[in-house]
Amino acid sequence: MSSEGFSIPIIHNSISIMTPFLLAAIGGLMTELSGMLNIALEGLILIGAFFSVIFAAATGSLLLGILLGILMTILVSWVFGAITIYLKANVFITGLATNLLASGLTAVLSFHIFGTKGVLMFEELPPLPSLNVPPLHKIPVLGDIFFGHNVFVYMSWIIVVIAWFAIYRTPFGFRLRGTGSNPKAMIAIGLNPQNYQMLGILISGFTCGLAGAVLTLNLGAYVPHISSGRGWIALVVIYLGGKTPFGILGAAFVFGLAESFSNYAQGFIDIPADFILAFPYIITAAAMVIMSIVQNRNED
Amino acid sequence: MESYLSMKNISKTFGVTGLKANDNVTLDVRRGEIHALVGENGAGKTTLMNILYGIMQPDSGTISLNGKELKILNPIAANKAGIGMVHQHSRLVNEFTVAQNVVLGAEPKKAAIFFDNRKAEAEVAAVIEKNRFHISPEMKISEISVGQMQQVEIIKMLYRKAELLILDEPTSILTEQEIQRLFDTLRELIKRGKTVILITHKLSEVKDISDRITVMRKGRIVSVKDTADVDEREISKMMVGKSVIFDFAKGEEGCRETVLSLEKVSIRKKRQGHPILDNISFNASSCEIVGITGVAGNGLTELEDVIAGLQKISSGSIYHNDEDITNISPKALRERGLAYVPTDRLKRGSSLDTSVKENLILTSHHDFMKRCGVFDDNKISEHSRRLISEYKIDGHSDVPIGTLSGGNIQKVILARELDNVKDFVLFSEPTWGLDVASSEFIYEKMLEMRARGVAVVLISSNIDEILTLADTIFVMYRGRLVAGRASGPDLTREVIGEYMLGLKDDFRGEE
Ligand SMILES: Nc1ncnc2c1ncn2[C@@H]1O[C@H](COP(=O)(O)OP(=O)(O)OP(=O)(O)O)[C@@H](O)[C@H]1O
Ligand SMILES: [Mg+2]
Repeated sequence: MSSEGFSIPIIHNSISIMTPFLLAAIGGLMTELSGMLNIALEGLILIGAFFSVIFAAATGSLLLGILLGILMTILVSWVFGAITIYLKANVFITGLATNLLASGLTAVLSFHIFGTKGVLMFEELPPLPSLNVPPLHKIPVLGDIFFGHNVFVYMSWIIVVIAWFAIYRTPFGFRLRGTGSNPKAMIAIGLNPQNYQMLGILISGFTCGLAGAVLTLNLGAYVPHISSGRGWIALVVIYLGGKTPFGILGAAFVFGLAESFSNYAQGFIDIPADFILAFPYIITAAAMVIMSIVQNRNED
Repeated sequence: MESYLSMKNISKTFGVTGLKANDNVTLDVRRGEIHALVGENGAGKTTLMNILYGIMQPDSGTISLNGKELKILNPIAANKAGIGMVHQHSRLVNEFTVAQNVVLGAEPKKAAIFFDNRKAEAEVAAVIEKNRFHISPEMKISEISVGQMQQVEIIKMLYRKAELLILDEPTSILTEQEIQRLFDTLRELIKRGKTVILITHKLSEVKDISDRITVMRKGRIVSVKDTADVDEREISKMMVGKSVIFDFAKGEEGCRETVLSLEKVSIRKKRQGHPILDNISFNASSCEIVGITGVAGNGLTELEDVIAGLQKISSGSIYHNDEDITNISPKALRERGLAYVPTDRLKRGSSLDTSVKENLILTSHHDFMKRCGVFDDNKISEHSRRLISEYKIDGHSDVPIGTLSGGNIQKVILARELDNVKDFVLFSEPTWGLDVASSEFIYEKMLEMRARGVAVVLISSNIDEILTLADTIFVMYRGRLVAGRASGPDLTREVIGEYMLGLKDDFRGEE
């Protein structure tokens, strides 16, 4: 196999694979900037995944499924936010509770509605539309890498750009960052920092809903715990990306690449499968270590 | 003259404690005056101003401005009415520029949704120009000095068209030069028809700049006077209800044996041109108070951290009773008997949500264990009762220390540190923001330590404090010691000021 034939599909796949990380991390970034660690990303993705696929199946419309799935996720994030911010509960406890609630709720509803806690197949669901621009596919290497993905992939890139503008170029972004950096500065000018923290969480609800929808609608099926740690990796991505949208885009790509590589390598490299599957997590651990070393260097 | 601002019968009680922070307070301010609001720590000054600025709502009472009664529900409403407040602690976002901080919450926009940074900078530059500030709108807050931050806070209010400016203890963290600059600014503002309410603990400043004085004590107004009619002693008498002594007899000099000694201590950081600490050498001996002063940003903070063992040094050595203690851990330092009263009382000196009695055993909790490894509650309470009375702490031993007034928090820290003192104690900015009586109490304790043979190091940017207390005075400039002499009549405020600004240097060229 030529090296090009080997690497292009890996890169192409990694772009699809990174999309849920990217979406969840961008929303998580908004919460992070408002001064809160959003550890509920994992649960929110699961909520989005479950509800978007079952609503899509029930209504027969992908669009409705996505919208209702997102709506449910925003609702859950609102509850999480309200308890944390207005009732002043500890964000670690409420975040963990949200994650537990998500896994419990999806299992119970799945059993109640479909009679199984296992995989739900929705064969009649149409596949996600993908963007094909035949003339552009002919561009060597890039054409194959960047085109032919489903629409969510491109939407996530647009969201990255919008997030950048929102954070650095709008009053909202300034106030959000101001809240995270010094909430008392906000109070002193008569703005309520709690409202901006709430918005940060609701935005993470929106993007995690979308991230979940990508997972299930791409598959046409719901697999229990389909989020499988993506919310946690998204948290790492936020930090690795230096808490900036484009940094996150880069960091998410690294994780996409790692996972894509481990999927690919399982086929023919003679390494224990468990080790290969653990690859993205090893990358996470290594990235965290490297990052803290670099940070210490810079401080000296 | 008729009144401009009139607050009538304002009362405010704080829930849990039932404490009357403001008890039927009536404040009257005339247009175009600088009105000083003074009183001990916890007298209720900030509470009253928070009510005026809409941060808190009063339980009862009315506010009128220009004869019109107002409901001030939040700071935005206060801004609309022309009232602006500069808080005791800076309320700025470090990552933002001066201009971005000033416009935050009232941002100029382009294309309806985008933040217009250029317009923000232009508008802020106009305010700066008009009021003769010296600061550039593009600078980041993290790059400017404390004095400049305060200017930014004032600019923020002027940008919002404030006519009445409230300044809550603006001078407590400023250097002498910065205070004079601030006062020039205030006088300039008065000329432009603005009105200022100034809270401060420094009575010399009250005399220097205010037109009238309102004195608060324990939530009530005790007197209102024209500044010209009273002197500092009378003001302090009104504040505390008794006369406070300003002059200290320092007492005999005693034994002199070196306890702590720093030799050529330096800290260098990579991307920084000059060293942060540059060859610092001095000794602190028993029965001596060593005073170290300088303008903020010249290495005082770093020196504090080094002596407290919280910052490793790049080169040099530190000795305690002739044993090398260079870069040992803070815990090891504590075990050797270091007592330390830090600049940052709230973060470093105490655990705000923890009770007074628990704060009192933070550095000696091992002594309060029963044999089975749990705390001996009776012993802790006993200890706390003793210290509360010995140090005249106004507060209950079971309440979180964060609910105490600034002066009382500092007394708790003092009690904890000095109760265990062996032969050495470090004080850093011990009287920032404290009222006269609390400051005096701390000075007495410091002299008591000295009399007991303890070596005292006092790091302070307050020249008067250094002149009153120190036996030996060192001045820092750009990380170096530029003066080190025994205190004496030749070492005046002016001379020290020259060293602080780098105009004089005794050690240049001497290595
Ligand atoms: N949010 C609050 N909750 C409970 N008690 C409070 C609160 N704010 C202030 N207090 C209490 O009200 C009293 C008055 O406090 P205030 O801050 O107004 O005093 P101050 O005169 O500004 O003192 P200082 O000179 O130390 O700044 C104090 O006893 C304080 O502990
Ligand atoms: Mg106050």
